Amino acid sequence: MEAALASLAAHAEDAIHQNFNIVILSDRSVSEALLPIPALVATAAVHEHLVKKGLRTSVGLVVETGSAREVHHFALLAGYGAEAIHPYLALETLAELHKQIPEIDPKQSQKRYIKAICKGLYKVMSKMGISTYQSYCGAQIFEAVGLQKAFVEKYFTGTASNIEGIGLFEVAEEAERLHALAFSDDPLLRNALDAGGEYAYRVRGEEHMWTPDSIAKLQHAARANSWSTYREYAALINEHGKKLKTLRGLFEFKTGERTPIPIDDVEPAKEVVKRFATGAMSLGSISTEAHTTLAVAMNRIGGKSNTGEGGEDALRYRAEMRAGKSTVKNGDTLASMIGHDRVEADVPLKAGDSLRSKIKQVASARFGVTAEYLSSADQLQIKMAQGAKPGEGGQLPGHKVSGYIATLRYSVPGVGLISPPPHHDIYSIEDLAQLIHDLKNANPRASISVKLVSEVGVGTVAAGVAKAKADHVTIAGHDGGTGASPESSIKHAGTPWELGLAETQQTLVHNRLRGRIAVQVDGQMKTGRDVVIGAMLGADEFGFATAPLVVEGCIMMRKCHLNTCPVGIATQDPELRKRFAGSPEHVVNYFFFVAEEVRELMARLGFHTFSEMIGRSDLLDMRKSIEHWKARGLDFSRVFFQPKMPPEVARHQCEEQDHGLARALDHQLIAAAAKAIETREPVRLEYRIRNAHRSVGAMLSGAIARKLGHEGLPPDTIHATFDGIAGQSFGAFLARGITFELQGATNDYVGKGLSGGRIVVYPDPTCPAKPEENIVIGNTVMYGAIEGEAYFRGVAGERFCVRNSGAFAVVEGTGDHGCEYMTGGTVVVLGRTGRNFAAGMSGGIAYVYDPDQTFASRCNLSMVALETLLPEDEQTRVETELAASGKGRNLHLDRCDEPLARSLIEKHLRYTGSTLALTLLDNWENERAKFVKVFPHEYKRALSEMFAKRAAARVTEAAKARQVA
Amino acid sequence: MGKVTGFIELQRIKEAAEPIARRVTHYREFIVTLADDEASRQGARCMDCGIPFCQTGCPINNIIPDWNDLTYRRQWRAALDVLHSTNNFPEFTGRICPAPCEAACTLNINNDPVGIKSIEHFLIDKGWEEGWVVPLPPAVKTGKRVAVVGSGPAGMACAQQLARAGHAVVLFEREDRIGGLLRYGIPDFKMEKHLIDRRMAQMSEEGVEFRPNMNVGVDVSARSLLDQFDAVALTGGAEAPRDLPVPGRDLAGVHFAMEFLPQQNKVVAGDEVANQIKAKGKHVVVIGGGDTGSDCVGTSNRQEAASVTQFELLPQPPEEENKPLVWPYWPIKLRTSSSHEEGVARDWAVATKRFEGRDGRVEKLVAARVEWQKDAGGAMKMVEIPGSEFEMSADLVLLAMGFTGPGSPHMLEEFGIERDARTNVKANTDDYRTSVPKVFAAGDMRRGQSLVVWAIREGRQCARAIDEFLMGTSALPR
Repeated sequence: MEAALASLAAHAEDAIHQNFNIVILSDRSVSEALLPIPALVATAAVHEHLVKKGLRTSVGLVVETGSAREVHHFALLAGYGAEAIHPYLALETLAELHKQIPEIDPKQSQKRYIKAICKGLYKVMSKMGISTYQSYCGAQIFEAVGLQKAFVEKYFTGTASNIEGIGLFEVAEEAERLHALAFSDDPLLRNALDAGGEYAYRVRGEEHMWTPDSIAKLQHAARANSWSTYREYAALINEHGKKLKTLRGLFEFKTGERTPIPIDDVEPAKEVVKRFATGAMSLGSISTEAHTTLAVAMNRIGGKSNTGEGGEDALRYRAEMRAGKSTVKNGDTLASMIGHDRVEADVPLKAGDSLRSKIKQVASARFGVTAEYLSSADQLQIKMAQGAKPGEGGQLPGHKVSGYIATLRYSVPGVGLISPPPHHDIYSIEDLAQLIHDLKNANPRASISVKLVSEVGVGTVAAGVAKAKADHVTIAGHDGGTGASPESSIKHAGTPWELGLAETQQTLVHNRLRGRIAVQVDGQMKTGRDVVIGAMLGADEFGFATAPLVVEGCIMMRKCHLNTCPVGIATQDPELRKRFAGSPEHVVNYFFFVAEEVRELMARLGFHTFSEMIGRSDLLDMRKSIEHWKARGLDFSRVFFQPKMPPEVARHQCEEQDHGLARALDHQLIAAAAKAIETREPVRLEYRIRNAHRSVGAMLSGAIARKLGHEGLPPDTIHATFDGIAGQSFGAFLARGITFELQGATNDYVGKGLSGGRIVVYPDPTCPAKPEENIVIGNTVMYGAIEGEAYFRGVAGERFCVRNSGAFAVVEGTGDHGCEYMTGGTVVVLGRTGRNFAAGMSGGIAYVYDPDQTFASRCNLSMVALETLLPEDEQTRVETELAASGKGRNLHLDRCDEPLARSLIEKHLRYTGSTLALTLLDNWENERAKFVKVFPHEYKRALSEMFAKRAAARVTEAAKARQVA
Repeated sequence: MGKVTGFIELQRIKEAAEPIARRVTHYREFIVTLADDEASRQGARCMDCGIPFCQTGCPINNIIPDWNDLTYRRQWRAALDVLHSTNNFPEFTGRICPAPCEAACTLNINNDPVGIKSIEHFLIDKGWEEGWVVPLPPAVKTGKRVAVVGSGPAGMACAQQLARAGHAVVLFEREDRIGGLLRYGIPDFKMEKHLIDRRMAQMSEEGVEFRPNMNVGVDVSARSLLDQFDAVALTGGAEAPRDLPVPGRDLAGVHFAMEFLPQQNKVVAGDEVANQIKAKGKHVVVIGGGDTGSDCVGTSNRQEAASVTQFELLPQPPEEENKPLVWPYWPIKLRTSSSHEEGVARDWAVATKRFEGRDGRVEKLVAARVEWQKDAGGAMKMVEIPGSEFEMSADLVLLAMGFTGPGSPHMLEEFGIERDARTNVKANTDDYRTSVPKVFAAGDMRRGQSLVVWAIREGRQCARAIDEFLMGTSALPR
């Protein structure tokens, strides 16, 4: 095959010299006698050869192959140089399928297939941050797992590959085997393809870790608290691992190196379990019953549950936060704690239980991230990416957004919630450091975690995260969370945690950073053996997600996206939630079993304490006898490598980060407002402010939220006036009852996560610049605002009010991407906006002053309509007619637009003294007509549905009342 | 995958049955297979689980979600193809399998499982009706000869698979007709015998030669098989019945179930049976609470017994198993078969102490109640409850207490084959090889008494092992 590839590349070169400008690589002539070269290696070989000869740009490369069928196949061919791909076999197969499914005509099915592949490619490219096919083509943004270095260098030059593996010989061998099967008379393949079993288990198909037996044994063990059944489960899993399903399955312990110790000398299980956490699975993706059961269980063992990115019902933590301890009594249940109307399958509780998720996640969409939410955490986790689908955000389909879920996420029921891939307040490691600082201020008791995904280079990122003052970093492996992932991400995104974790440990130790940051690893942790290997590769803590869900009753339906989970876990359907049968006891049993298995291994390996074991990759070895023909070339020495550092350099977490909180202005604010918080007596404060004062107001808001919850104080109880240039995140998470008034200007992130407070910014009156023409606040203002109001006399930077879900804001102009991904709230822009306004906006309203009628050209109209701001009487008439015709009304906040917009502009004038507002109001009758109302389609539909629902409810109520009468 | 919300909207459909009063007057099948719409609606209930527990619950690993889906979409023939890809004889299992797949169905956790067996029954009946079941003779003959000894479901499956792989197969049977327990153990009212004949016709065209009335070790020597064939598969079953050595056992009217049941099947087949053991007008006591016992009950009722009683030594199992600790595995629970529905007095935890009679004929049975207690080592032990002895009139006693091992001592001795601790032929389930070169074993003879579906599995896998042995590789599925 090597020779064939060389001659193919030479052929292509010749063709170019003969002035051909398109080269087509085809495997159409495959026959019983002719074995095709796998399309990817052929494409890459030709592409690399032409690149090396400097000829690549003079020719177009087209690949005609029967082997491309999944999105990933196309992505690979494109990534290694194919400018066009013709999947002839896939297309012919679709035409053939027509015979079985006559209702779809073959042309139509081919069209749909091509569309699906294209959409898949869009998704892949967007994940990688690449906008055009041209840029993606030949970009080689892949990491190979299990390819020989020399092979990669020759055909896939520059691609990362860290554990060696197969080379061209094995690729050819595999091609031969498949070819032989294709032309054999195998009865199973006579008129059907192999069952496969990649995405759904099949007995004769692809091997899986979760099998009927492993699931049944785990469930039975946890339910009956049976150690012997757990042993059977662990044996199955650890044994499965050896069948080449995981990298760790190929490892073995060097048990001869250290003297074994009696198990009684090993750290007790109740200490080991404290290192365990559950994975981030949002309330929304799973039911409240399943979510809370995990929290209760983790709190019982002193571990941590992770709320995921969907917020959390405040009733689960409010009482506990105020009392400073659990308020659960014996006899209480989940329903008695959070309300019978919120629970379908009740879960009994014990005195001292806590329903609070100790880890609160902060993801790109910032669902439900209020000051109160932040203040209730022991750890705040910034989700940079998800192991199962790196580069994508959480995706909750509309039918899972029930009324309850919408309330928690400050969104509209029935509207799907797709988290944006990036955090709009993080574009650099400095931005991440700022978010870490914001969160630490909002809740100084919480440690700050950053969740990363295993991939090549993650070590460097982790080092940056440690320098950005995170207390904790999570390295997520590729094979978790499959239920909520698109199929193209399940198999082909991310890498095994073994690789990312090893790289993280090596980089952190090498840079003497390891001591100040805890490392957690997650991604299909199942047994004590997994935990011990994780520890040896450098993890302090361990995240488990699927296994505890299985313990709760999950049977891996892989229907999480359909809302039809038959065991009441991954569903919001009340009828199906009734079937939930999990219990905290079972989850507790499972974690203690894992800890016991860990202890047995520790005894064998001679470790008294868990900490000693961390980073001891020298005690791991590659298994001696790996029978599989494709596993022979593997080499894990890079994974087991330990940096040569002096012994005093920490290998596990043993120090604290210095967050620099002592310098915060908020200490003064809190002291001065202490009485006001106690008595609700208004207080007026004044400060000089400088740009070194960052996250001002966050710590104060956290303190109020912890004490008083989201309700906070009456409006304007604490009124602080600042003079000067504020640093970043001015008024972040500002709580109800606080007003921040700033004379001067601010940096980025003003009002981030605004939680009910009021922010007013206007320039120094001595400044000669015209306010409405100059920037007064920085970029990414009001990102993730939940509630509250803000008035800015002057222009905002880029990304104004992104992910706003309920706050009011008035500003005199914005940069690009204003109101992106907004799901609620009201924004008034009195001046010119930048481009791409309202992209991805699904809720809330923006009123934009557009005197020269050019706004439409700067607005992203894919999800919104532009309407005129009608006079109040006219809108009243229209809406009354609508209601009369039974269509439902579209009133935002139950108010007509004119009074709403006008009152906001009036407040703007009152608070900021804006001369622009004054002019507009003075001439309101004329100016009103120059406002454009930006109305999201989804929101309009939801409003009218909600109105119709309410009207119907009123009719039923009235009928009931008459009956009673 | 079926219909996404099918399992929420649609109910399990039980196959209709002829009313009891009518069906006990004949020996024909009385279960009515589903109509097209019913089958489609039942297929719609399948959730296409990410992990289909049914597939592992099924001993032959039927690809159940796939054919459920095709059934929902009314692609009957494609569904049958998938079904046939793992099961040689769906018409047998679709009728008499206890359906461990349904016990493992994820809907069984908190709902009624998908009627998998009823769909299987429907598909294969439809297939025969439409003429879709045709012989699949091999394109190439290998020239190898294989003897399969024992023509029950294991032997039939093994023979069919080997024939399709191109080997010349001779299927030996001691009895006068092919089919083993399918033919002479299972009554016609549960499975009519023309179904076997129909399959035999197919197998014949695929190259299987049938030799009934050939008792290997008696009529033909084991040695000669080894001389004449390239490989020998022993698929002889576990026919040695467990006896009840109590006083009175030798009285007339005390019989093994397998003396009683085959006679009736022969009569139904049109044979004349001299001195047939008949239940008519008699008080029948069946000892043993399993499937064979149940068949004795059904046959006795059809023979118009005066009364039918069934005893079981073990205590009465619970009506519902403890699902959280049992699912997806096969539950021990109270099972009421169609034969039980036809009339029987069932009693549990009863040990028969002796039979008494006059003139050498049994007239009554003396039994006592027992209790099961855990001994010091945790094993269950049976203890008689003092003073619980009772009598019961019994003119016909049928012993259906299971089988202890292979029933062909001559043949096994002649081959000189090694046995395991339970007297079964020793062979593993990877290569199915016995201690004697080129002799293989599968089915009940190897694993002990079991289900038809396990026999089919072993027959198929053994065929693959033999094919690999003969040819070096095999394309036959395991």
